[in-house]
Amino acid sequence: MVITSKQHRQHRGTIRAMVALMTAMAMAGALSACGLGGDQGSSAGSSDHVTIAAIYPKTGLYAEYGKMFQQGFDLAKDQVNKKGGIQGKRLNIDYYDTQSDAKQDAAVAPKIASDKSVIAVVGDYSSPASSAASPIFQQAGLVHYGFNNSSPTFTNSGDHVWTPQISQKTYQEANAEAVSKRAKKISVVYIENDWGKESFQYFKEAAERLGVQIVYQSSYLPDSTDLTPILIPAKNAAPEAVVDIGYGPDGALIANTLRDKLDYKGPFFGGQETKEFLSLTGANAQGAIITGVFSATGTKDAKAKAFVKSFEDRYHTVPGNFEITAYQAIKDLAYAGEKTSPTREGIQEALSKVKDFPLYQGQGGTFRFNTKTRRADTIKPILLQVDQGKFKQIEE
Amino acid sequence: MVETLFSGLIHGGVYALAAVGMSLVFGVTNVANFAQGSLVAVGMMTAWWVGSSLGWGLVPTILAVVLVTGLVGLITNLLVITPLEGRQPIAALLGTVGLGQVLDNGMQLIFGSQTRPFPQLLPTHNLHALGISFGTSDLVMGLVALASMVALWAFLTYGRTGQAIRATSQDSQAALQMGVPVTSIRTIAFVIGSVLAGIAGIFIGLFKTNINPMDGNAIGMTAFVAAAIGGLGSIPGAIIGGLVLGLAEAVGVGLFGDGVHDLITFGTLLLVLILKPSGFLGRKADMGKEPMTGTLPEAARPIRLPLWANLGLAAAALATPFIFSDHLAGIGTQVAIYAIAAVGLTLISGSAGQTILGLAGPVAVGAYASALLTMRLHWPFTLSLLGAAVIAALAASLLTFPVWKLSGHYVAIATIGVGAVMVAIIRIWEPLTRGSLGLQGIPLPTFLGKPLYTQQMQYLLDLIVLLLVLAVISRIRSSHLGHVFEAIGEDGQAAWSLGIRTGAYKALAYALACGAAGIAGALLAHQYTYIDPTLFNPTMSTLILTIIVLGGMKSPTGAVIGSLILVGAPELLRILPEVRIMAYGLVLIIFIICRPQGLFSTKRRA
Repeated sequence: MVITSKQHRQHRGTIRAMVALMTAMAMAGALSACGLGGDQGSSAGSSDHVTIAAIYPKTGLYAEYGKMFQQGFDLAKDQVNKKGGIQGKRLNIDYYDTQSDAKQDAAVAPKIASDKSVIAVVGDYSSPASSAASPIFQQAGLVHYGFNNSSPTFTNSGDHVWTPQISQKTYQEANAEAVSKRAKKISVVYIENDWGKESFQYFKEAAERLGVQIVYQSSYLPDSTDLTPILIPAKNAAPEAVVDIGYGPDGALIANTLRDKLDYKGPFFGGQETKEFLSLTGANAQGAIITGVFSATGTKDAKAKAFVKSFEDRYHTVPGNFEITAYQAIKDLAYAGEKTSPTREGIQEALSKVKDFPLYQGQGGTFRFNTKTRRADTIKPILLQVDQGKFKQIEE
Repeated sequence: MVETLFSGLIHGGVYALAAVGMSLVFGVTNVANFAQGSLVAVGMMTAWWVGSSLGWGLVPTILAVVLVTGLVGLITNLLVITPLEGRQPIAALLGTVGLGQVLDNGMQLIFGSQTRPFPQLLPTHNLHALGISFGTSDLVMGLVALASMVALWAFLTYGRTGQAIRATSQDSQAALQMGVPVTSIRTIAFVIGSVLAGIAGIFIGLFKTNINPMDGNAIGMTAFVAAAIGGLGSIPGAIIGGLVLGLAEAVGVGLFGDGVHDLITFGTLLLVLILKPSGFLGRKADMGKEPMTGTLPEAARPIRLPLWANLGLAAAALATPFIFSDHLAGIGTQVAIYAIAAVGLTLISGSAGQTILGLAGPVAVGAYASALLTMRLHWPFTLSLLGAAVIAALAASLLTFPVWKLSGHYVAIATIGVGAVMVAIIRIWEPLTRGSLGLQGIPLPTFLGKPLYTQQMQYLLDLIVLLLVLAVISRIRSSHLGHVFEAIGEDGQAAWSLGIRTGAYKALAYALACGAAGIAGALLAHQYTYIDPTLFNPTMSTLILTIIVLGGMKSPTGAVIGSLILVGAPELLRILPEVRIMAYGLVLIIFIICRPQGLFSTKRRA
C-alpha cells in the first residue's frame, strides 16, 4: 500500500491523539486516590539525621554571595555535628541553587516543603526571591529563616517567616548618631531598592531629630556604572560629610568616585564590612565609618573570635558580614532544635521562646526574637572604621 | 553643570566604543548581536588577568585582548553565526542570546564570581582643567574611539576587503554574484566587531574601576540602545548615539536622581526613534523588509491535531494536578504562567511577524494591576485577573501608539524601550505602586471566595487559565482577524498594497498578546504574594520570546512545550549547578541550528 504524505500525516495525528487519550484515561484513573490537598509526606520519625535546606545563588549574578554563604553554612554544620548534632541527630544541609531568581525559588520551595526531613529553610540572598518562596514554607509549617533579608516587610508573609537581621530602625538610628557627632550638614545617597528606601527614611528621621541638616539627597540604582551625575551635586552642596546607605560594591563605587574623580576630601560614611569593599576601594576607604554587625579584626567577643579563628583555619581568609550571618543562621537553628526538638514544630516554638541565642555579631552576648515582628531587635550594631585596609571597631 | 556635562561625555564615550562594534556587525551581517556585551566582558576580563596577574602594561594588554577576543569572535562565528546564515535574523539573534549565556557563565567559571578592582593600566584622574578632573585614560579613550572610526571608515572606503564588506552589507545576493566571498567577508566583519568589543572592554574597565565577569549583559543592552539611537549599521552613528545617551543620562540623573535612570535611557531611545525613525544616521529601512522580524523559518507551520486529540490532551493536563506532588505542581505553576505569556506572544511574533523584545513590561503591569485591584479596591480575584489583562493591553497600546509607524528592526528595538519604560514608571509611581519597596502581602488567588493555598490548587488554576487563553488565541488565529495577522506576517508589503493597515493590526495583535502577558503577571503576583520592579527584567522578556522560538513561533501548543522545556527542565535537571545555565545556552544554540522551525512545527513543502 502506498501511503501518500497526506495520509501519512493523518495517520501520525491519529496515533498521537490516541496516545494522548490513553494517557488522559490513565491519569483520570489515578484521580480517585489523590486530591489537591498537597503532599502528606512520610514522617521523619526515627531517622538519624535532620536537614536544613539552603536556597542560595551558587551561580549567576550573585554567585559571589552564595560562595560566602556556603562557607559559613558548612563551617557551622560541621561544628554542630562534631558536638554530637542536634539532640543526637546528624545535621545535613541540602543546597538548592536558585541564582536568587524568584521563579526558581518558587519552583524549588514545594520540593523542600514536601521533604519531611527538612526542619527549617535558610536563604535566599535577595528579598524578592526569598519572598516568592515564603508563602509555600508558611503553608507547610516550615520555618523560613531569611538571615540575609533586611527588607522591612519580609516577615509579613506569615508567622513562620523570621529574620535575625538587625531592624533598619535600630541600625540607622545608630548610624545617624555616629554621623551627628561628626557633621551637622550632610549629603546622603542611598540605594534604590526596598531596603535602601526604608533605611533612608529611618536615617533621615533620626538625623533631623539630632539636628543634622541634609543638604542633598538622592537614590541610585544598584547596577549604575557611573554615579558622578548625583555625586557632583552631592559634593557641590558643600557638606561636612557624605553618607551612603548601600552595600559593598556600590559603596566602593561611591567612595572611589568621590575621592578619585571629584577630589572630595571630607569624611565618608558608608560601605560594608566585606573583604570585597576593602579590595575595591584600596586607599580610598581610609577613614570610612560603617555602622556594621561584625568585624573579624575588631571583634571583642570570645565566641566571635573563636569563629574567626576556625574560619581562617579552614578557608585561609578573613570572614565578613555575609559569612558570619550565614554561620550564625545555622548555629541559631541548631540551638533552637537543641532547646526544643529538631522538628519543624520544635524550631518554630524555639524561635518565639528561647531567649539566649548565642550572638556572634554586634556586641556579642545573646539575643532573642521580638515575637510580634519576628525580628531580632535586641542586636545592637557596632561602629567600624577603616584604617590601613582593615576594619577597626571604634567606641563612641 | 560643566562638570556634569563633561562626565556625561566621558561616560558616553564608553557607550560609544561598545556600540561601534555592534553597529558594524549589524550593518554587515544583519545580526543584532546580543552577545556583544559578553564579548566586551571577555576583553575586560582578559585585560584584568594580564594586567593584574601578569602585570603587563597597556600595549601588551591591548595585543592580548585583540588576540583573545578575535579568536573568540572567530570561533563563535564559525560555530554559531555562520550556520545560521540565510535564516531569518531572529535565529541569529537568539543564537547570540545563547552564546552570551555560555560566555558569561564560562567566564564566571574561569575567573570566579567576585567583583574585583581593574588594574590601573593608565592614570585615570591625573589631569585638571576648568575645575574638572580627568585622566590620561579618558584622553586615550577619546583618541581610540576617533581612531577606530577613522580607520574603519578608511578601511571600508578604500580597502578591498572593506569594499567587499560594504557590498555585502548593501546586498549580499548581488555581492555574491559579483564574486565577493560573502561568508568570509561576514566572518571578517564579525571578528573586527569582536576585537572592537574587546578594546572597548579595556576602557570600560578603566572607567568603571570595579569589574565583574557578569557585567556583559548591562553593557550589551546599553550599547544596543546607543547603536539604535545612532542608527544601526552606522559607525559614526554609534559614536553619536553613545555620546547622546551619556549626556542625556548625566543631565537627567543629575536633575532627577538615579531613580529615573531607565526612564531616561529607554525614553531617549523611544523619543529618538519617534522623531527619527531610523536613528540619527541610519539608512531608511524599506517598508516591506523587516529583517529582524518574521517567523523563524519562512516555511514552517504548526502541527495540527484533530479536535478530539486536543480535548484529550486538555483532559490529561487537567488530571495532572491531582496526581502531581507538591514539587511537580510547584514547577507546573511556573511552566503554566510562562506558557500563558508565550501563547499570547505567538499572535504578534508568530502570526503577525513582529518580534517583541520587551514583554516583561506588560507582565509587570498585569501583576501590579491585579495586586492593587485586590489590595486597594478589594476586587475579587477572578475580576482582577480580567482587569489585569485589560489594563496591560491598554497600557501597552497607549505606550506603543507611536511605535507602529516605525519599520524594520526599529519596531522590535522600540518594544525593548516600551517594556523598560513600563517598569521604570512602576518604579517611579511610588504613591500607587510603592516603587522599589515592592508590594507585600498580595492575597493568594481565590476561587468562589476560597483561597487556593496548595501548590496543586494553584497549578490547577494556572492550567485552566492557560487552556482558556489557548482556546481564545486559537479561535482568533482561525478567524478572519487571524488570517489578516497571518497575511501581514507572511508579506507585510503585499498586505499593505491590499489596503490592510498593517500598523494598526500589529498594534491590535500586540494588545492581545499584552493582555495574555497581563494575566500571566497577575497569576505570578498572587502566587508569589510579593512583587517588586526587579522581578520584571530583560531576562524575563528574552525567556518568553525564546519559549515560542523553541516551541514553534506560530504554534500556541508549541509555546506550552517550549515553556515545559525552558522553565520546567532546568528545575527537573538540578544536577551540576555550575554548568546548568551554560548547558541551557548550548541547548538553545543547538536547537536553533538543528530545528529552526521549532519543536512543534513542520516545514512547509513547496
